[in-house]
Amino acid sequence: MLSPERLALPDYEYLAQRHVLTYMEDAVCQLLENKEDISQYGIARFFTEYFNSVCQGTHILFREFSFIQATPHNRASFLRAFWRCFRTVGKNGDLLTMKEYHCLLQLLCPDFPLELTQKAARIVLMDDAMDCLMSFSDFLFAFQIQFYYSEFLDSVAAIYQDLLSGKNPNTVIVPTSSSGQHRQRQVLGEASMEGVEASLFYQCLENLCDRHKYSCPPPALVKEVLSNVQRLTFYGFLVALSKHHGINQALGALPDKGDLMHGPSLDEELERLLVPRSPGLIQLGHASPEASWPAFPDPSRLAPLEALHHIPENDGSTEETDD
Amino acid sequence: MDCQTEVNCGLHLVIQTSSLPEKNKVEFKLNKDTPSFPGRLLQHDLERNYSSRQGDHINLVSSSMPSFPILQRSSEEKILYSDRLTLERQKLTVCPIIDGEEHLRLLNFQHNFITRIQNISNLQRLIFLDLYDNQIEEISGLSTLRSLRVLLLGKNRIKKISNLENLKSLDVLDLHGNQITKIENVNHLCDLRVLNLARNLLSHVDNLNGLDSLTELNLRHNQITFVRDVDNLPCLQRLFLSFNNISSFDNVSCLADSTSLSDITFDGNPIAQESWYKHTILQNMMQLRQLDMKRITEEERRMASILAKKEEEKKRENQKQSLLKEKKRLTINNVARKWDLQQRVANIVTAQDRKDSDSPSQDPCQIDGSHISASPEETGSLDSGLTSALQGLSVIDSHLVELDGDTLSLYGSGALESLDRNWSAQTAGMVTTVSFTFIEFDEIVQVLPKLKIKFPNSLHLKFRETNLVMLQQFNALAQLRRIDQLTIDPQGNPVVNFTLWKYYVLFRLSHFSMQKINGTEVTQNDMIMAERLFGILAHVASSELPQYRLISILGDARKKQFRYLLETKGKKPGIVNEENNDSKRLIGENTNRATLNYTTRDFYNERLEEIKEKKKFCKMYIEDLVKEATEINMKNEALQKLWPQMFIELVRDAVIEIRNKNSYMKLCLQQITDQK
Repeated sequence: MLSPERLALPDYEYLAQRHVLTYMEDAVCQLLENKEDISQYGIARFFTEYFNSVCQGTHILFREFSFIQATPHNRASFLRAFWRCFRTVGKNGDLLTMKEYHCLLQLLCPDFPLELTQKAARIVLMDDAMDCLMSFSDFLFAFQIQFYYSEFLDSVAAIYQDLLSGKNPNTVIVPTSSSGQHRQRQVLGEASMEGVEASLFYQCLENLCDRHKYSCPPPALVKEVLSNVQRLTFYGFLVALSKHHGINQALGALPDKGDLMHGPSLDEELERLLVPRSPGLIQLGHASPEASWPAFPDPSRLAPLEALHHIPENDGSTEETDD
Repeated sequence: MDCQTEVNCGLHLVIQTSSLPEKNKVEFKLNKDTPSFPGRLLQHDLERNYSSRQGDHINLVSSSMPSFPILQRSSEEKILYSDRLTLERQKLTVCPIIDGEEHLRLLNFQHNFITRIQNISNLQRLIFLDLYDNQIEEISGLSTLRSLRVLLLGKNRIKKISNLENLKSLDVLDLHGNQITKIENVNHLCDLRVLNLARNLLSHVDNLNGLDSLTELNLRHNQITFVRDVDNLPCLQRLFLSFNNISSFDNVSCLADSTSLSDITFDGNPIAQESWYKHTILQNMMQLRQLDMKRITEEERRMASILAKKEEEKKRENQKQSLLKEKKRLTINNVARKWDLQQRVANIVTAQDRKDSDSPSQDPCQIDGSHISASPEETGSLDSGLTSALQGLSVIDSHLVELDGDTLSLYGSGALESLDRNWSAQTAGMVTTVSFTFIEFDEIVQVLPKLKIKFPNSLHLKFRETNLVMLQQFNALAQLRRIDQLTIDPQGNPVVNFTLWKYYVLFRLSHFSMQKINGTEVTQNDMIMAERLFGILAHVASSELPQYRLISILGDARKKQFRYLLETKGKKPGIVNEENNDSKRLIGENTNRATLNYTTRDFYNERLEEIKEKKKFCKMYIEDLVKEATEINMKNEALQKLWPQMFIELVRDAVIEIRNKNSYMKLCLQQITDQK
């Protein structure tokens, strides 16, 4: 309790770093908004529920974007919620457009901005043909990187621009706005001159990570990503980030790509398919195994049941419906 | 050489033909029983006027040189029949020179082969000239016959009516059986009573003005398609138009204006085959006594007027209908145009919001509804087309409400106000389909409760050009009582481009058990797929939300239901009895997804604005708390730091005090006594 680091920070800063204040403020705000209802069953219970939901990651459901973006934990919870809710879409094999994914995001957060989804789509599509269809897993991982590390990525983009202009005057660059993540046109045919040199890039990133203690991917992993290649483009870098397992695990929101479609909700799905037309109802009885949403981060809780019950992709025909 | 033939007609004709210098002599003898010349000539009489008993007494002397035969009569015949001369069937090819017959009043050249009217200019007393059945090609040589009253030129080859200028006294003009194509040059014949132009090549009738005495006009067997100018004939009583090409009464409409007409024939025309022929004619020509040579009875007239009235009404109805349709079409066009402009403005605005650096080169449009100035060339053509079309109609609305049996159609956002109207229970009850076009979906959402109440039987909703862009918007439809069918027209509704939109609709509105979406049946598989895709979303939305969130989202109405649900959470499913199961199922279906709501963007932003105040307050409040807490914490820490020192001092003080037992005892005693 009396550790020197803790005492080194002024109190306020310490609280801010752990985002305690954000949650406190939000809790009090929610209390104010719903005081008639909440006063009926007690403030203490309210606070209990609130912080429980924060732990479980359900607090961001249907909340406004400013809240969801406020803390890394919120962002991670949101990613997880999105994954859980729409995993079946991915499992179904549908390829959707960027706009449709954005729609799905909006189902969970009504004012989610389109730019973020667009940026995420750019990562998947390597900044090409924005109307292309994307698979669920591709989009999800790209979105994770874009959303969770959005400030970081903005700075990276700026750095990349600087490096490009400083390093390589032959490259044609379309003047971009200050937000930094706009399309860069590069001289084709000069493939060897494309992008920036990896080691130099890494040095700049390292500086960035030191400055920005907040919400950066672990520098060691970034180094890993950059060590494999000699040169790389901006979107190449982002794609590599999104596909890197280590970063994914460090984030802790989503399972590994292989396990993306499976999960503890599988048995829920099973039962839902077998029960006609009133899926949500019976589930309440069974909600308890799932209600204890694994505490963050706990990807190891993903116990695939596919060994027991293998469900083929589209099995509308094999299920039994009793109506 | 003279030829003489005995004839049993009244006229002996002795023709002497010889070469030019020689005179030709023709002797005619008139039959004694010449039929009397009737004072009043009728066509029928004329055609059979001259019996063929009149003989031909031809003395033909062929000669090598062309020359006119000269006619001469014996003086006794001249005295007997000084005013008439018949040269019927004399095989004449030319008109003979008639000498010394200046008193002649009647001249008959029927049934010859005369090609030109000649050599009669001297017969200036001529009243009656009959050239029926010859080969005359042109009317000529009549300019001196100022007294002529009857001119019979039937069955010739005349192509044109001409050279009648001086025949101002003409009473009867018969030109039947010729090749006349046009009525002309008759306007000066103000005494003409009978004009026969049957069996010619007339295609239309006009240019009849000036014929102030015309009583009978025969135009049978021509190719007439329309008739004009007949109302300029003040005395016309009989008009024969049989066997022509008249097909509509409009083409002979001038007949209705003629007050004198009493007898008309149309048989053999296409118009006579029409079902409305008789009563239209009768209705339009009240003055008629005979139609197609049959007397018109009172009964017929009555029927005609009744039928005509019916026609009139029908026409009026049709006109009204087409006017209404036109108005409707224009209104819809107007609404569409407004909608289009609105969308363009909205696009420009959102584009501006996103790119704050680049602004469009032209001035941005003002968003206030009344004045929208988009680029002129885009709206210019629309405008000019519309305004010219609008001139006929007085009022053009900016919205349209149409109730057509079981369908209520609303065009334009102004139409939504019509839901407030007092619809009779019966008409409102009949409405099963409601169609929205050119209205923002967000605006429709706000009137859905009204729709639910006023049109309880509306089962089919159609949306076209309503700007449905998000799946979330379908959540708003859940508040309705029931929907059987949903039609989302791809035009103007981008949401249809999504792969999953139908499944989402089926999922969110599963409690409606919809039958059809966009015309295709909903199958069991569709429902299952919908549940599979989005079932977890429902689960998350219901059971994983903390209770206070549920309550705040759902509102009080559902609170009780939900409490009941949550209370049964702990029970084992097997124990639940049937009745509860059913009711739970019903409730469950509704509330499972009930948290998936849709608030329109404006409302949402409003709400966020409202919350800002609260957030600020919370922030301040928490800050105060934190300050307090940190102060206390600091004090605590400070105390922690200082305490060891303080403790040591306390102990030292105490030890120093007690070092000298005696003096300490004295001090304590002192203190005790001082207290008293």
